[in-house]
Amino acid sequence: MASKLEVSLTIPSMPEFVGVVRLAISGIAARMNFTIDEIEDIKISVSEACTNAIQHAYGTSPNPEKDFIDIKAYLTDDNLDIVVKDYGQGFDLSIIGTPEQREKSKEKMGLGLGLTFIKSLMDNANFESVEGQGTTIQMSKKSVNYSTTAVS
Amino acid sequence: MITEFSVDVDTLNLSDSKSLPVIRVSGEIDIYTCSELRKTLASTIESSATDFLLNLENVQYIDSTGLGTIAHSAQQIQTNNGQVFIICTKPQIKKIFEVSGLLSKNISIYESEDQISVPVEN
Repeated sequence: MASKLEVSLTIPSMPEFVGVVRLAISGIAARMNFTIDEIEDIKISVSEACTNAIQHAYGTSPNPEKDFIDIKAYLTDDNLDIVVKDYGQGFDLSIIGTPEQREKSKEKMGLGLGLTFIKSLMDNANFESVEGQGTTIQMSKKSVNYSTTAVS
Repeated sequence: MITEFSVDVDTLNLSDSKSLPVIRVSGEIDIYTCSELRKTLASTIESSATDFLLNLENVQYIDSTGLGTIAHSAQQIQTNNGQVFIICTKPQIKKIFEVSGLLSKNISIYESEDQISVPVEN
């Protein structure tokens, strides 16, 4: 029976904490025997999810004492499932990938590529957003090398 | 191992007595550090640079915020037919540039500064 382990991390909605999340998640991924390339993909994806929350969830000036981002990693055998959740203003998911979104991203000097990266670098990605309640980005990836070296 | 973030500006003398501004970055380029890179790129462009070289050899990580910063500068110099020469050897960083689709514009990737000996004539 596969056990499901949970590692959670909560950060203030501040740019300086995104690097901390990357460090933590690469440590978790390394424990699961993901390859160096896969660890990079996971790092970028989680980082993009946090960056998305910092840039969009809590308006232009988040209050670091009360605006948080929750990052949860669920480890089940060879599968790493990561959920990045904010409790901010939410957004209309239907604009992802549209010219309108690119335009909005440009205003923040972005490319509108963050969510696209997550989709292309992870095995699965789901976005959920409720206006006024927040956004949840869920993503997962399987570690191909896991079963050969894992201690049961 | 994380290298502390730094941005250094230099000049590369090219074979035909022209020179190219060089921006060498170390560390991780993300939402936290990209503002410093943005400022350096902006001041390089302001001091009438048409082309510039961005050396990312010592960059361990870049994400969409870093790419956005580079793309914004590339767009600014594009009006003068300017080019951005990126030096990058790490496969994972090259991959991000490729996935982003930025390389089809006025941004190109090279393995070392030595490869940039002659400016691209427009």
